[in-house]
Amino acid sequence: MIEARDASLVYSDHGRDVFACRDVSVKIGDGEFVGILGPSGSGKSSLLYLLSGLKTPTQGDILYRERSLPRMSDEERSRLRLKEFGFVFQQAFLLGYLTVLENVMVAFEGTPPRDEAVSLLETLGLGDKLQRKPHELSGGERQRVCVARSLLGGPSVIFADEPTAALDHKNGEAVVDLLNHHRGKGSLVMVTHDETMLREADRIVRLVDGVVEGDVEALTRS
Amino acid sequence: MKPVRALRRPLAPYTYLLRNAAKTVPLVSVIVLAVLLITGIVALLNSIPLSIKTIYLYSRESLGITPRGDPNLTPELIDQVREGSPVPIERVMTCRASSGTVRSIVGKWPFVVLGLTQDDIRYYLRRQGVTQIEGRLPIAGAPEGIISEPVAKNLGLQLGSAMVGPANADNYSPKPVKVVGIAHSDRWIMLDTIEYQRKNHFPPVDIAMVFAENLHDQELLDRWAEKHFKGQRAQVFAYHILEKDTNENFATLYKILNVVIGTLVLVITLMMGLLINIYQSQRLVEFGLLQAIGHTKRQLIQRVVSESIMVVVLGWLLGIFIAYLLLLLVKARLMEPNAWALNAFDAKAFAYTLPAPLAILGVAILTVFLRFRKFDPVGVVERRLV
Repeated sequence: MIEARDASLVYSDHGRDVFACRDVSVKIGDGEFVGILGPSGSGKSSLLYLLSGLKTPTQGDILYRERSLPRMSDEERSRLRLKEFGFVFQQAFLLGYLTVLENVMVAFEGTPPRDEAVSLLETLGLGDKLQRKPHELSGGERQRVCVARSLLGGPSVIFADEPTAALDHKNGEAVVDLLNHHRGKGSLVMVTHDETMLREADRIVRLVDGVVEGDVEALTRS
Repeated sequence: MKPVRALRRPLAPYTYLLRNAAKTVPLVSVIVLAVLLITGIVALLNSIPLSIKTIYLYSRESLGITPRGDPNLTPELIDQVREGSPVPIERVMTCRASSGTVRSIVGKWPFVVLGLTQDDIRYYLRRQGVTQIEGRLPIAGAPEGIISEPVAKNLGLQLGSAMVGPANADNYSPKPVKVVGIAHSDRWIMLDTIEYQRKNHFPPVDIAMVFAENLHDQELLDRWAEKHFKGQRAQVFAYHILEKDTNENFATLYKILNVVIGTLVLVITLMMGLLINIYQSQRLVEFGLLQAIGHTKRQLIQRVVSESIMVVVLGWLLGIFIAYLLLLLVKARLMEPNAWALNAFDAKAFAYTLPAPLAILGVAILTVFLRFRKFDPVGVVERRLV
């Protein structure tokens, strides 16, 4: 479904080239839960940004359903993200002037499906807080709103970038459980440095200094 | 399922403006104040030439000709008009005049007290559109006069007051000339009798007043006379000359006004540019998040530009509306009691305000484009930019 082929991402740091990712090749299949694990600064988030089209590789290619993301225009990549992908970031980014329900509805082009948004929020235990503003929610609740936003419209892939980093362990596990439920409908790619959050993952890609450490298939959990 | 309240389009441009009144109101207010200030300055300035044109509007009804150097030339001048006029003439009258003053927003302005025969007074008033008189016409040779309502308001006169007199340095006459009639009209008129003028005023110059048969032809006659008497021993008084002179005299003042307004617009635009920049900086998370989840740069720019247009248009319309109300108030409380002219719905004053919203909009759009030119949503979601 998504494939990175020898993808590299190079940043320029005061004239010096720094590899965030180097010749990474990863495949993510339909319905798979893939964890990307590694220490801080290992290039986990960069790989997620490459796979989701938020960044284009300096070298190599990223394919989504055999279509090259780098060859798409910026606008095409954006539309693909909105229609096909869902995102959960480390911080629970919500728009402060919108209600919980409206925050979920922003992840849709055109007129958003309100009933689906309500149903998602109810499933995530926020049914009684639809009209609340983000500042009236706890950290865990805010992140659950972000999860609901990422699930709206039934995306093919959900990209989660350290979704539990700002939460306590209990709330973190709850969020991962919620995301894990999506597996039946699509794939889940989750970046984390906490291996315990990847108990349900089908595969774990371990990165060190921007390089996939060892053979990806060999690291598959069994 | 219980119906749930939510906007159909949470990202509609008006959503941000309505839900962030603390930011929208100052932006709109600055534009309102700018529009208010510019409209006020221009409308009040416009009221000066407008007052000139209003006060001397009576001269639109007739052509005035006075001899130069020789007071006996008047009959000859009248003959020339009768012979050469390009339009039919209804009446030619000979009158005398003495000078007076009226009060204006910028001080005293010269005005003329015309001395006419009783028959000519009747014709003159009819020609000025007067259908009703409170009181009566002055008796020939008596120290009596008739004025119109604006003059009465402006000089605080009523029936029985002295419109000119020995104690009045600005409106002098050897005898107190009593107001015996007030004409209901918006024209500015001060009349007494030619007999009184001949006996009491200097210089002894007869003025010719020529009335075209058809009012629409009056300007044609005036322009002909202006051309015909050029270089001759005659001075022509016509409304179009007054209009031309007024416009020329005020041209410099309007140039200065342009510089003042230009500076004002520049200052306000810079201030608004700073405000817009601050507000947009506070929305980096919003822009980054929306772009990261898939809203295109174009959609975001369109949205922010639409918001800017709404703020500017709302501010401008509100500014115009409030300025109009304020000018109505100024007109009712300050101008009308003195019979001063002020156009509360002054299209020229409103047009002068347009550079302000346009410049602000330009800066807002420029700021948006500059911000989004190299905007990287990853910087936001990684919390590098916020």
